[in-house]
Amino acid sequence: MNIAVCVKQVPDTASQLIISGDNKSIDQSGIKYEINPFDEYALEEALRLKDRDKTIKITIISLGPERVKQSLTKTLAMGADEAIHIETNEVIDDCINISTIIANEIKKNQYDLILFGKKSVDQDNNQVGIMIGEINKISCISNCSEFKIEGKKIIANREVEGTVEVFESELPAIITHEKGRNELRYPSLKDLMAAKKKPINTIKVETNIDKRSELLKLEYPEKREEGVIIGEDKSSVTELIRILKEEKKII
Amino acid sequence: MGGILSIIEAKNKEIKNSSLEVLSESQKIANTKDLENNVVILGEYEENNSNQINEFGINKVLLGATNKIENYSPDLYKNIILNLIEKFEPEIIIFSGSAIGKDISPRIAANMNYNLVTECIEITVEENGYEIKRPIYAGKIIQTLKFNNNPIVLSLKSNYFAINKVEQKDFSFEQVNNEEIGNIIIPVLKEIIQPQKETLDVSEASIIVAGGRGIKEPESFKLIEELADVLNAAVGASRAVVDAGWRPHSEQVGQTGKIVSPNLYIAIGISGAIQHQVGMINSKCIVAINKDKNAPIFKFADYGIVGDLFEIIPELISELKK
Repeated sequence: MNIAVCVKQVPDTASQLIISGDNKSIDQSGIKYEINPFDEYALEEALRLKDRDKTIKITIISLGPERVKQSLTKTLAMGADEAIHIETNEVIDDCINISTIIANEIKKNQYDLILFGKKSVDQDNNQVGIMIGEINKISCISNCSEFKIEGKKIIANREVEGTVEVFESELPAIITHEKGRNELRYPSLKDLMAAKKKPINTIKVETNIDKRSELLKLEYPEKREEGVIIGEDKSSVTELIRILKEEKKII
Repeated sequence: MGGILSIIEAKNKEIKNSSLEVLSESQKIANTKDLENNVVILGEYEENNSNQINEFGINKVLLGATNKIENYSPDLYKNIILNLIEKFEPEIIIFSGSAIGKDISPRIAANMNYNLVTECIEITVEENGYEIKRPIYAGKIIQTLKFNNNPIVLSLKSNYFAINKVEQKDFSFEQVNNEEIGNIIIPVLKEIIQPQKETLDVSEASIIVAGGRGIKEPESFKLIEELADVLNAAVGASRAVVDAGWRPHSEQVGQTGKIVSPNLYIAIGISGAIQHQVGMINSKCIVAINKDKNAPIFKFADYGIVGDLFEIIPELISELKK
């Protein structure tokens, strides 16, 4: 079985982000990049399948600049077999074009299962995995918290507004993954050394995108004002209830 | 040609709140641009139950074959919407930020080769297109995007738009008939698992009571559950307690959990790390209870109590029960 896991490199979730002087970009100094957490959970699911069946081959696919290779090396150290780095001549920031490029790359190989994180924590778009399913005519189940493979079928649980929807589909299929129930593995130094011997193939894609959108500006959200400390012990409970009931009228 | 197609969802024969936000916002855009607003209702719904939608200035209500179907079918929903796009050629297609909206809107955009803008929080009509604001980096930054006059698909961030009603002109109902094509490239819903106990979901609740590491042990979460019960609130959790296996991931609030904006968020024993903060900072009112007076949560909570939660919460529960 061939599994592809598509990953995106994003700023570390603990980063304090500073808007640059042009008001259109993020100041790059001091930003630490990491693999999008949801993609890492998706990769972990693939690795757990491979733990049980060593014949499974896992290919990582990532679109982005040169620095992406660092994250690809980490995925190889975690246990993936090979990586494909898609490099474009221009920065592409809309999902329909990103999806088309990755969909093209996916088409070149016969993958039985293609995994994505449900969204990236930088742009919060929630789109690419599902769009690629439509573009390549592959069944996609989005927002899954767990799945299992039974022969040529995949059965996946989608956590939706308080209930779980169980979807079934033929393979090949695309899954966009929620944070998993499984803990992530961390590569050892030995794994990292071994990863250096695994291949990262760079694919250069020439694009000529008809730009339908333009980024006008970035800004910070309105800052919340520091509130009041009502008190320091249980006697403040009555006052809190009074505020919530009488002033705010929210309980 | 032109106009708006608003995608509305019904559940248990009621229009969902997130869809009322869509109706309100699409009415505003229709008014500004003098566009026709056609509305399709997906999910279980009855024609004579129109009092929920008759105050949004809509032109035509289309009832898909789904109005008899309780459950979500990506195949059926997709085909109905694509057929309506072919029929009306809308310049703007608006979805809610519901689970269905999140799943179906990329399918529509990809099939039409349109741009999709998710999590919209502000839509401004400009002379030659739209300016749209949306949060990125889990809300640490807001971006403004300009779209030209090509057709576009939007989905709104839930709980973000006021529901404004207007006087309704006449509108017509039309039944649109579509059948499931039974497309094998589309997954099929086999089963819905209801939670063992009827619980409110954090993404839909208007009050959330959330607990973090300060709760000390999983059993003590009973206190949080009890307080949530009294307030008819949902239980939320920080990443630390979800990762420790004390609470399910469906309750996690934060960058890798749910991003919520309830009327009231009570954070108990939560220090307020940046990853948690971005998940709840847009709550209308934040109350923090924590014994560490230097916890970051007090920097952005509206009201705080510095103290031992094991004393304060039982007191809060008994006072609220009175």
